[in-house]
Amino acid sequence: MDIQSYITLGFSIALTVQNILYCFLGVFLGTVVGVLPGVGPVTTVAILLPISFTLDPVSAMILLAGIYYGAQYGGSTTAILVNIPGEASSVVTTLDGHQMAKQGRAGPALGIAAIGSFFAGCVATLLICFAAPPLAAIALKFGPPEYFSLMLCGLIAAIVLARGSILKAIGMVVLGLLLGLAGSDINSGVRRFTFDQAGLADGIEFVALSMAIYGIAEVAYNLEKKEVATQVARHIGRVWPTWSDIKLCIPSVLRGTTLGSILGVLPGGGALLAAFGAYTLEKKIASPPRRFGEGDIRGVAAPESANNAGAQTSFIPMLTLGIPSNPTMAMMIGALMIHGISPGPRVMTDRPELFWGLIASMWIGNLILVVLNLPLVGMWVKLLRIPYGLLFPAIIVFCCIGAFAVNSNAFDLYVMAFFAVVGYLCLKLDCEPAPLILGFVLGPLMEENLRRSLLMSRGDPAVFVTEPISLAFLVVAAALLLVVAAPAIRKQREQAMQE
Amino acid sequence: MTVTRWFGLLIAVVLATATTSPAVAESYPSKPIKLILPYSPGGIIDYVGRQIAQYLGESIGQPVVAENRPGAGGITGTDVAARAAPDGYTIVLMDPAIVINPTLQPSMPYDLFKNLTTISIVSTSPEVVVVAPQLPVKSMAELVAYGKANPGKMNFASAGVGTTPHLAGELFLQRSGVTATHVPYRSIGQSYPDIMANKIQFAFSSIAGALPFTTDNRVRPIATTGTKRTPVYPDLQTVDEAGLKGFEVDLWLGVFGPAGLPNDVTTKLNAGLQKILKNPSLIKALAKVGVEPNGTAPEAGASFVKSEFQKWKKVIADGNIKPN
Repeated sequence: MDIQSYITLGFSIALTVQNILYCFLGVFLGTVVGVLPGVGPVTTVAILLPISFTLDPVSAMILLAGIYYGAQYGGSTTAILVNIPGEASSVVTTLDGHQMAKQGRAGPALGIAAIGSFFAGCVATLLICFAAPPLAAIALKFGPPEYFSLMLCGLIAAIVLARGSILKAIGMVVLGLLLGLAGSDINSGVRRFTFDQAGLADGIEFVALSMAIYGIAEVAYNLEKKEVATQVARHIGRVWPTWSDIKLCIPSVLRGTTLGSILGVLPGGGALLAAFGAYTLEKKIASPPRRFGEGDIRGVAAPESANNAGAQTSFIPMLTLGIPSNPTMAMMIGALMIHGISPGPRVMTDRPELFWGLIASMWIGNLILVVLNLPLVGMWVKLLRIPYGLLFPAIIVFCCIGAFAVNSNAFDLYVMAFFAVVGYLCLKLDCEPAPLILGFVLGPLMEENLRRSLLMSRGDPAVFVTEPISLAFLVVAAALLLVVAAPAIRKQREQAMQE
Repeated sequence: MTVTRWFGLLIAVVLATATTSPAVAESYPSKPIKLILPYSPGGIIDYVGRQIAQYLGESIGQPVVAENRPGAGGITGTDVAARAAPDGYTIVLMDPAIVINPTLQPSMPYDLFKNLTTISIVSTSPEVVVVAPQLPVKSMAELVAYGKANPGKMNFASAGVGTTPHLAGELFLQRSGVTATHVPYRSIGQSYPDIMANKIQFAFSSIAGALPFTTDNRVRPIATTGTKRTPVYPDLQTVDEAGLKGFEVDLWLGVFGPAGLPNDVTTKLNAGLQKILKNPSLIKALAKVGVEPNGTAPEAGASFVKSEFQKWKKVIADGNIKPN
């Protein structure tokens, strides 16, 4: 089959009534959590994970994906209207977006954010269509040694690109790896770190762990912050930007889309890095007069295009290599594995309906988002008035139901409670939980592939360097380590991360 | 499943535990029966279990609710049934792991023979031997010959230590004298890419797991492990036909209840199962995953379980397989 027939296949699946509904539900929920500060797509995906197990895998992925890119649309709404980023990836949108709102130009700001996002979403979807198959063709040559080296490379990249202290990122990755070791070892059948608890025989439940860290711990952490008196911009204005606004923004949207698409593919990347990168770039190379920070519409257009492009292209490594570039993608991999689909290059060849259905649904989802967002701005503003006193208990209840429902095992609730405390401590210590989740997801896979490689090579570790693809990944991993170690580069990185 | 259904389930479970009273056998069943499936959704047990639950519910006049209780290779879910009140309202559908686990695991929460009642062995399904397409092997006899010519060179895949694909592979090595390295995966499905790439040379797979790969010849099926040929691969010899006399591996499924089930409850459940296993539409649904109906009487089922226990115990002992 060629790309065209694959795309036709994708649309034939994405356009079934059921899948359009799940796509709509996903992007709608995504927008809602995007609008609400303190509730992110990771939390939402975690909450919905158990529900998705009862759907067929395609619908489940369509739903979960919709939440992720939908949140990128919603996040800008809050950023522009109330100067609070609904999502971390909309932090930079507050800079110019809220200034515009203050000047009574909230409408055009929201409009350009949606239009830019839509354009970026379409481009990124096309990019997945064309970039993924060649990647997957290479990936068919992947055996255990290649997988091991790839995952090692991914983990190191996650450390390099993590925000904040490298030492803490390494610590969190290692903690994640260790947590991933608990449970029955598949090579020997021995139970490790289970403390004779039947509930730990299969390891720490991923859903309970991720809900604890991203749901409950986040809620607890948010409770500490004084509730910000929300000053909602009163005057929104007409949503459609003027023609001169659009003309001004076209290069910014294009730049944002390009940069976002590239950064999204990188491990550790995704929407957040994309938005920051795009804004910084725009400040430097946009045509004068530059009024960034004072309500320049290009300061909204570029990062909003970039974060949506990045959100979408971050599916490329997840779908083609089984490597999560951010926690949401790690969650999606978890969802796939529970559906009995081992994420990786073969998803595209063995489950074309899943791969192409998901991609087609992304395009449909973007369309739904534009239609959904522009007229509903008024409603999203009202949503911001839901008091945390109602919202947070609801999140905790749903986390508990979700964690219990996976195995109908009360033990998972204790696991969740325990890791909620751990997650909260990590947040207090300023340790990003993302590397922990990545380590937890990739650790067991890495171990399996390491030992499988050695079983097949009859114990000869040279297999990792004699296989060319594996060697290439190890070289990249070593280069990344050098980057971290080199003091000059490290300094630059720290500066970049502070911006 | 929707959130409301979880709530419903939660409430149902709470109510069920709150109102447990000695079963009145004459009116059995007077309330919904819970059929525990000790594996995650998506596998054969899940598929067959949900079919059986639906048909049994219609036949017996009370809903049969399938509930996944995965964990610890089926031990968690089986334990739930072993500990349930012996009133026939909690039963479990289990595969050969139920007779393998007691030999393999250092500690078990229940005793297979003291805490469980066999209600019926409901189905039978052979495994299929698949080989890498690059391998110059077209039959079981050729696999044995190739293995003997290349001692210790081959790898075989399994779904983990002590799973049926592993023990079937061990039994094959013991019977044929071939030597090969065992490479465990999380599920047999995950091993297929490596079989296609000839990194793994052969595997004993469930038919359901093999079908997507054998239909377009990405792996080569060479034999099945039943006493007779399976309708799914009518052209394939059985391993027994191919020369390893008496070699049989059955991925059977059985319905079990807690020990001390009243006789008439066992009889009623057994009769219900036997009846639905003759229903052509259920038979057709099972055939899709290579499963054929069986439906033994309780006593025949119990002695079958004993013989399976002994058979695998010997393979495990001879192969010196233990978690270490």
